[in-house]
Amino acid sequence: MIPEIGHILLIITFVSSFIQAIFWIITLGSKNTVNLIILQKFAVTNFILISSSFSILLYSFIISDFSLLIVTNNSHSLKPLIYKISGLWGNHEGSLMLWALILSFFTYLISRNKSQISFKLLSSILGVQTLILFSFLAFILFTSNPFERLEIPPLDGKGLNPLLQDPGLAFHPPILYLGYVGLSVSFSFAVAALITGEINQIWARQIRPWITIAWSALTLGIALGSWWAYYELGWGGWWFWDPVENASFMPWLIATALLHSVRLLETRLILVSWTVLLAILGFSFSLLGTFIVRSGLLTSVHAFATDPSRGIFILIILTIATGVPLILYAIRSSDLYTEKKIEFNVFSKETALLINNLFLSTATLTILIGTLYPLFLDAFNGEKISIGPAYYNATFAPIMAPVILIMAIAPFLNWGTKISNNLSKKILFIIFITLLGALLLSMIKGATLFSIICGSLSIWLFSGVLINFISQTKLNNLKKGKFRSWLKQLINNNLGMHIAHLGVAVFLAGVTGEQFFKTEINGRKNIGDIIKIGDRSLKFDDVKFEDGPNYKSEMAIFTLSKNNNLIDTLKPEKRFYPVQQNQTTEAAILSEFFGDTYLVLGDGNKEIGWSVRLYYNPLVSWIWGGACLMALGGITSIFRNRKTKSNIIIRNTV
Amino acid sequence: MKPKYRRLVIITLIITILGIATQLILMALKDNIIYFYSPNDLKLKYGETKNIKNKIRIGGLVLEDSVIIENNKTTFIITDRIHQIKVYFDGSLPDLFREGQGIIAEGTFIKNNLIASQVLAKHDENYMPPEVAEALKKNGVWQGDIKQ
Repeated sequence: MIPEIGHILLIITFVSSFIQAIFWIITLGSKNTVNLIILQKFAVTNFILISSSFSILLYSFIISDFSLLIVTNNSHSLKPLIYKISGLWGNHEGSLMLWALILSFFTYLISRNKSQISFKLLSSILGVQTLILFSFLAFILFTSNPFERLEIPPLDGKGLNPLLQDPGLAFHPPILYLGYVGLSVSFSFAVAALITGEINQIWARQIRPWITIAWSALTLGIALGSWWAYYELGWGGWWFWDPVENASFMPWLIATALLHSVRLLETRLILVSWTVLLAILGFSFSLLGTFIVRSGLLTSVHAFATDPSRGIFILIILTIATGVPLILYAIRSSDLYTEKKIEFNVFSKETALLINNLFLSTATLTILIGTLYPLFLDAFNGEKISIGPAYYNATFAPIMAPVILIMAIAPFLNWGTKISNNLSKKILFIIFITLLGALLLSMIKGATLFSIICGSLSIWLFSGVLINFISQTKLNNLKKGKFRSWLKQLINNNLGMHIAHLGVAVFLAGVTGEQFFKTEINGRKNIGDIIKIGDRSLKFDDVKFEDGPNYKSEMAIFTLSKNNNLIDTLKPEKRFYPVQQNQTTEAAILSEFFGDTYLVLGDGNKEIGWSVRLYYNPLVSWIWGGACLMALGGITSIFRNRKTKSNIIIRNTV
Repeated sequence: MKPKYRRLVIITLIITILGIATQLILMALKDNIIYFYSPNDLKLKYGETKNIKNKIRIGGLVLEDSVIIENNKTTFIITDRIHQIKVYFDGSLPDLFREGQGIIAEGTFIKNNLIASQVLAKHDENYMPPEVAEALKKNGVWQGDIKQ
């Protein structure tokens, strides 16, 4: 009975969002502000309805109600609670429910907006959000109903695929969805601007936190996925340029470009229509990503069981959600805003941000071509191909290198025509540090040309961010004032940007270490054997056979020590899940600041020993550390005081 | 910079960058494409000699009782139930690698055997790589939909 209530609630939301969308379209030209209040009420209602429906589904997972098909297929009574919960979004139907929940939550948040934004614009934003919600609810109800019942409920569930019983699944999809859905908000802002013809600095100021939230969530979500793929074997490591990975990376790149172009719009009122276009494309790419993941058209390491009919449905949504706004864009963009003829120098923030956008969108294009080219070739002559990391190393990397070069310098350029003080001095200093760093890098054993280039870019950015941070921050204020006001001042002084750019530098350092300096040892070892890694030694102590909550485990115990001082115990493990008749290999990873020791237990027994695989990955955790810094930077910049920014505008335009 | 010149500079810049990007993409596509074959397709295309220099991908099922693992080095046979290819692999196998499972091996040919640099299986036990499914269907050995 309870699941039926959930289903009915979902149908009611579907109808209510339909009515709301119709209402919005009818009242589009009206000047009556009551209409906005009605739309706001709808937004609250939809959110309450969907969260109730979602809670009911969640409840079914928690109590393991196996009369529901989705629970039977993805849960098991013996599973730990957290995996019962994450089982909800570990599958297609449930993940769409999560999508709809986040979407209606964001719509509700926008509806509460009490700022200077005009009621016409706000109504249209809510209207577009509702249309998106309506299409997703239609998708859920017609192709992927999570409340489908089984006539005869089984005694127990089939269990979630053991590989997915992982903290990675608990957090990676929801955070990524937060990003995707966040981009739907900037999409709605853009479409609403096209409909109402209203776009200005207030628009830019209102859209920016949403882009920042979406971007930070995407960054974090991708990083989590990357980390998960790194410790799970056979998923291609931290980044594989797999279509599913690209599907999340393209919206990220667009969001990055958007984050920078909206800054130009906000302060200088240029790139207006380009920003609108990016905001539309950001969401299109999110939908394209969902389509790629769910349709199964492209071969991916991360693919799950797929269903072509669902793919077609998403393709229809994608076509409408991209096509209609683009037609609207073609008609309306020219009379959106007459750009002021502002003057700026070659060495100005404007130029740097323009170049940033140009390169980022070109980089997105190369990934798009690499991801979709196999599809085209298959359609044209039936040849099956795949495009791997080599393609992206040859296209994406050289296009992004200039972005890094400019990223270090751009923050201390001025807006407009006045060249900033000491510019050449600062650049010379960065060059000096970078050359010094490159020299040191080239002395490392095994350094290649590309490793030196990659490492130098990181050093270049590190020194740029550092100089910039020091020159813009008055550290002596800390002694005089209170910590809080000092922090506030820092945040208003682009602290978020500094942190995010620092994150890129940290990330690049990690990439350099992992890509160019990792080592591998490999062989058959028995209890008592010792493996040497540099000045450390790894001793094979024991193998234990134990029972886990829902699996049987074969666990090896190794001790890592240096000069007879114990550093840590490593326990690589093989697990056998009887319910699914599956075996998984759990690598033992010792993550340290300067690198990871990554140990994998293979087959074997006491007579012949076990096959053991050992990797040392220098600086690898910096990859995710860097990504976390980027996300942190994004979140920090949301707290910027907006009033200070308008002062900047006045100063610059006078 | 005057707006008139600025527009010129920006357009030149855009064209240059797009030009360079196109060039990079074309070069990369020429050199870095990996073709996918089923064992039978490969035989039809290259005959028995398999004189292929580039990296390729072979997809099919892991033949039952063909897997030998010794010192982390794996030998197994990929089959599409018509033709088969022996694969050598010196790396970590994915967890869902097992006999009868659809997999993809990527590598280069040396003396009629595939020296794989990567073996890919999927996240989901119900999942069959689309190329493998299609290759099996084409050869008439498809065992019906694996998905329940």
